[in-house]
Amino acid sequence: MPTLADAIERLVAGNREYAQRAAEADPNAFVELSKGQAPEVLWIGCADSRVPETTVCHCKPGDLFVHRNIANCVHADDLNAASVVEYAVAHLKVKKVVVCGHTKCGGANAALGDADLGQTLNTWLHPVRELRRKHKAELDRLPDDDARAVRVAELNVQQSIDVLKQHPAVKKAATDRGLTVHGMIYDLGAGHLRLLEESGRKKGNGLWSPT
Amino acid sequence: MSGNTEEPKDLRKYLQQSHDRIFDNNRKWAEEQKAKHPEFFTKLSAGQSPEYLWIGCSDSRMPAEAITGLEPGEMFIHRNIANLVCNTDLNVMSVVNYAVRHLKVKHIVVCGHYGCGGVKAAMTPQDLGLLNPWLRNIRDVYRLHEAELDKITEEDKRYDRLVELNVVEQARNIIKTAAVQQSYAKNQFPIVHGWVFGFHDGLLKDLEIDFEGQLKSIQKIYNLTMV
Repeated sequence: MPTLADAIERLVAGNREYAQRAAEADPNAFVELSKGQAPEVLWIGCADSRVPETTVCHCKPGDLFVHRNIANCVHADDLNAASVVEYAVAHLKVKKVVVCGHTKCGGANAALGDADLGQTLNTWLHPVRELRRKHKAELDRLPDDDARAVRVAELNVQQSIDVLKQHPAVKKAATDRGLTVHGMIYDLGAGHLRLLEESGRKKGNGLWSPT
Repeated sequence: MSGNTEEPKDLRKYLQQSHDRIFDNNRKWAEEQKAKHPEFFTKLSAGQSPEYLWIGCSDSRMPAEAITGLEPGEMFIHRNIANLVCNTDLNVMSVVNYAVRHLKVKHIVVCGHYGCGGVKAAMTPQDLGLLNPWLRNIRDVYRLHEAELDKITEEDKRYDRLVELNVVEQARNIIKTAAVQQSYAKNQFPIVHGWVFGFHDGLLKDLEIDFEGQLKSIQKIYNLTMV
């Protein structure tokens, strides 16, 4: 059985290899990164280990400013996410905000019922569970829990977007310079991102209405 | 992008392109993975059992999986401004709880980076509105280590040291949680580490936090092992 120390040595070795490869591919890579960041996109995603945003979007360091938490929630009273949004939108002036949920999400799945996950997680997931209660009739019609969890993930992305659109920095940037907010679902079983068209259309930011 | 001469049509085209790029990249990546490992996505669908929890900065230049060479499925990740772990923050506390109590991660890494904009902002005497309460936590780290930091005359070096001390204090904040103390008493894991990433060379620096020593030291006041 590998020891606890091996697991850490692996990360350090992985980092050495990353640094070497990046420098070989572009001798200026780290010089450029040292100068500063100007990401175009703020990515709000799930903490789930299977959805590493830079890898699944085939992006490079410097492309995506990132906040990840349990079930990619943006709660109106959460200062952690609100601070990330403020910094990314008002200071770094990102052009887009993406909220990305995913299939097989443990948080969305847990929100299908009311099992006790401990007080901290119960409180965090409460708004997602409320969504499930609110949309019970629609969810009951779906064939199985996998499908219901995906629908809850979609509803949760839309709810997060509704909260984001009330964030003062987002409101201002949307009016002043055309910032847009987009919902996505990442399909773990296929590796594909799917754009939630209605989240963009409903509030009329208009760029990507369904074809 | 050019300034005033820009036609709105061109801007829309540009926005569309920067948006489409993510989807094009994603399709390319999914095809490559499937070609390399046909079972890759089927296995990921079955569940996750990451060994690591990473608490890092939102900064776009330090994607955790890329700089550690890990594959999807290996690391549970929370990223916020200046990699802070505040005990009243339900967001980060939910992540720690889920990772420790449910996923049973073996290691927790708090990783900061030199040149952190959040730490810089906290060293600046300026009202930053909504960001004030969040950055206030970094000012408190400064106050805890005021004597040491004030002795550093070169401002860049003082900034670098505050980045390091901030990581150490956030690692201590994780050790103070009931989830970590109780799991360690029962399982001898997780171990909490503090690292700093440097953009100038792409390398991680281990601050060599003495986990057991820190645990003992905080438990004089913060012991939460009794259920």
